[in-house]
Amino acid sequence: MGSYYDVDAILTDSQKVPCTFELTVSGLGFLEGNMSGDMKQGSKVELPLWLGEMLALSLNTSSLVTLDPPSALAPRVMNALKADPRMVDLRALAPHFYNLGTRILEIFEEEEITEVLNESFKSRAAVIADQAHNPRGALGEGADFMRGLDENERQLFRAAHDSAKAVRTWMTDLKKK
Amino acid sequence: MALPLPPGLTPPEIAFLCEMELVTVIPRQRLEGLELLGGRLPPLNPPHRTPLPLWLALLLKRQRRANILPPPWLSPHSLSAILEYETKNEEGFSPTPRLPPLPSNNSIMFSPPFLPSSTAEAAPDALPYHWLELGEMLLEAAADDFEDSDNVRKLLQGLREVRMSKLRKGVELLDAEGGIKMNGVGGMEVGEARAFVGGVIDGLRKIVASREQQRRDREKEERENGYPSTADYDEDEMEMQ
Repeated sequence: MGSYYDVDAILTDSQKVPCTFELTVSGLGFLEGNMSGDMKQGSKVELPLWLGEMLALSLNTSSLVTLDPPSALAPRVMNALKADPRMVDLRALAPHFYNLGTRILEIFEEEEITEVLNESFKSRAAVIADQAHNPRGALGEGADFMRGLDENERQLFRAAHDSAKAVRTWMTDLKKK
Repeated sequence: MALPLPPGLTPPEIAFLCEMELVTVIPRQRLEGLELLGGRLPPLNPPHRTPLPLWLALLLKRQRRANILPPPWLSPHSLSAILEYETKNEEGFSPTPRLPPLPSNNSIMFSPPFLPSSTAEAAPDALPYHWLELGEMLLEAAADDFEDSDNVRKLLQGLREVRMSKLRKGVELLDAEGGIKMNGVGGMEVGEARAFVGGVIDGLRKIVASREQQRRDREKEERENGYPSTADYDEDEMEMQ
């Protein structure tokens, strides 16, 4: 998907997803803090997305691990997003929430999650635009919302804020002439 | 990657493009016609009204060699009518100036940057493409040529806020099937909204990318699994012929 040098794509790759080992692997026990032992069959471990994806998908025969949807995309979160997207603290769930969501959706086909993510991104974007144009909003009552933005949304806020600021700067420069 | 500027034009660039617009000036001094690369400028004979590009008009105004006649849509009366239209119509922006009738002899049609939409003869009831930039620049350089410059300034500010909030609300309607009607949005407004609207569309595209990919795969599968595809139809028709 992203470019090789895309820092956000790299950081998304390093987010943890829960995995269940299907086979006993000798010497891998350190992954769950068991320094010398083996990884038992059926044990659940949080692995980075890149490793989990590789182990779960790349082997053609029986896969080594099975991926489970991460807690950030659990039904509880989806219900909260459906109820009111503006009240959910996405950053606490995952710093790259939408990127993680799209990566997971490439693996699991979940029409409903796509729909929920789509809707919440849109309605949160409208609030972000309002905050970006209202210099007091980001500090006052909007502070909680702003703290809960994921990385994509932060970039969106910065873009909206910078362009509004550029127009304001142009108008004040005009007066100086 | 190396270019630090975001895509699109910066406000000073948009203002620079706006300076090509023609405005009507009332000269106070004689000036012979100038041969410039962009074309010939008419000679100035006070007190005859002459259309000049905005950049020259602003220069002459600063040197007190001319007065600028604000375009009719920049009057408090027209602006308040447009503002009322904007507040009443929740969807869509106020319409752009009407295009002149097509010239009958040749097929070349003039479009906004080459139309005199800001001279004294412009339509009073519509905002041209460069309304915000032109209004701000005229108010700054030639406030004394307006009848009621404070009121005009206030109305411009109001218009700008109403229209920007419409643009921002529009992202909630964005979807695979539809969007917002952006006819009549001005140059500076496009420049201001571009980064945000583009970012939203990019984000949405990423979210639904996997769904699109799955849909495409499914269609491809259906085609390969013996559903009648268009290619088969073509073959049948060929045989019948």
